[in-house]
Amino acid sequence: MIPSGFPYLEKLIGRQLAAFPGHRSFLEKRFSPAGRVDFTFDEEIAEKVIQIAGKNLDRICEDYRRLSGIVLDEELHFRRTGRYRLSTFAQADEQVYSNADLMSCYMNGLLASQLWWSNHTEVLQFFRDDFIGHNPNGFSHLEIGPGHGLFLYFAAASPRCKTVEAWDISDASLEHTRQALAAMHLGRDVSLKKVNVFDAPREQFTSIAFSEVLEHLENPRDALRILRGLLAEGGRIFLNAPVNSPAPDHLYLFETPEHLLDMIVDAGFAVESSRLAPCTGATLKRARKLKLTISVAAIARKG
Amino acid sequence: MEDDLEKMTEIIRDLFDEYAGPVTCALSAGDVEQWDSLANVQLVVLMEQSFGIRFSTNEVGEFKTLGELLDIVKAKRAAQ
Repeated sequence: MIPSGFPYLEKLIGRQLAAFPGHRSFLEKRFSPAGRVDFTFDEEIAEKVIQIAGKNLDRICEDYRRLSGIVLDEELHFRRTGRYRLSTFAQADEQVYSNADLMSCYMNGLLASQLWWSNHTEVLQFFRDDFIGHNPNGFSHLEIGPGHGLFLYFAAASPRCKTVEAWDISDASLEHTRQALAAMHLGRDVSLKKVNVFDAPREQFTSIAFSEVLEHLENPRDALRILRGLLAEGGRIFLNAPVNSPAPDHLYLFETPEHLLDMIVDAGFAVESSRLAPCTGATLKRARKLKLTISVAAIARKG
Repeated sequence: MEDDLEKMTEIIRDLFDEYAGPVTCALSAGDVEQWDSLANVQLVVLMEQSFGIRFSTNEVGEFKTLGELLDIVKAKRAAQ
């Protein structure tokens, strides 16, 4: 499936296939595009996933298998109705967020998906190279909803990053992120705070990451307005959300990449660059035609 | 059955635009690179819309070939 020289990737693929043999053809498609030989970034992510998983690697792989089944159920509902199953935060809280077992499975599965779903990996690389890689010396970084910690790690690991902070509404999520950063041997302090973005303190940052959060909100426009206030003049923000991506707690349906990009502009941002990453195995043209998942990432400034 | 296979051919060509091979009752996911588990869901929902039936969640993942899928359609029609 992959050439030799990528031991972490090889190990992770092997463990994933042991837990989920039926995923072989998907992973072959993921890692075998014609002529592809460079898996350097994938190898780096595989190493991070293995570090974060620690002794729980098999659990992570099993939870990814479970998550895949859950996503297929959501996909069936979405294809039949054209809508996500849930539409309010109260529903998501009752059916997903308050279910500790489901949440643990979900978080673990999403960690593995950073590597198995090519759109996730592509956006992560876009974040590291085009966003963090082009931030100026001394940037102050904020991430809201840091989750598995990979985006936060790349920001904090930049030698140009002066301060780094992350907010979440859940103590459990913050602890999850703290453990992930420690497992990746980050080696610097990161301020993890329990803050609801809708009650954000009057602070400003020159670099903000808001990845895979907008689709979890009832009204993402409100969040974008607040984010604009948190962004210092001249600062840059990284926004990322999927279109047509049914999941247990996705509330807001972005139907096209332009739906999201236009909303970002309407909120007072000027998009500096964007990346449209279709789901594994699909071209952008086919993803648009069949309304498949496309991750839409934008780097923006105040307009 | 021939009419059904004609309808299926249209769906398969639309969904799997890189597949140019024959569409027969023996066609399976292994023959079509674009036919993964997500595409499987899309296929059965397009069939539901085209044939006016509803698959159970179990049936979505049970079939191995197009022929088996069309057998389910036939059985559901007979039961209607």
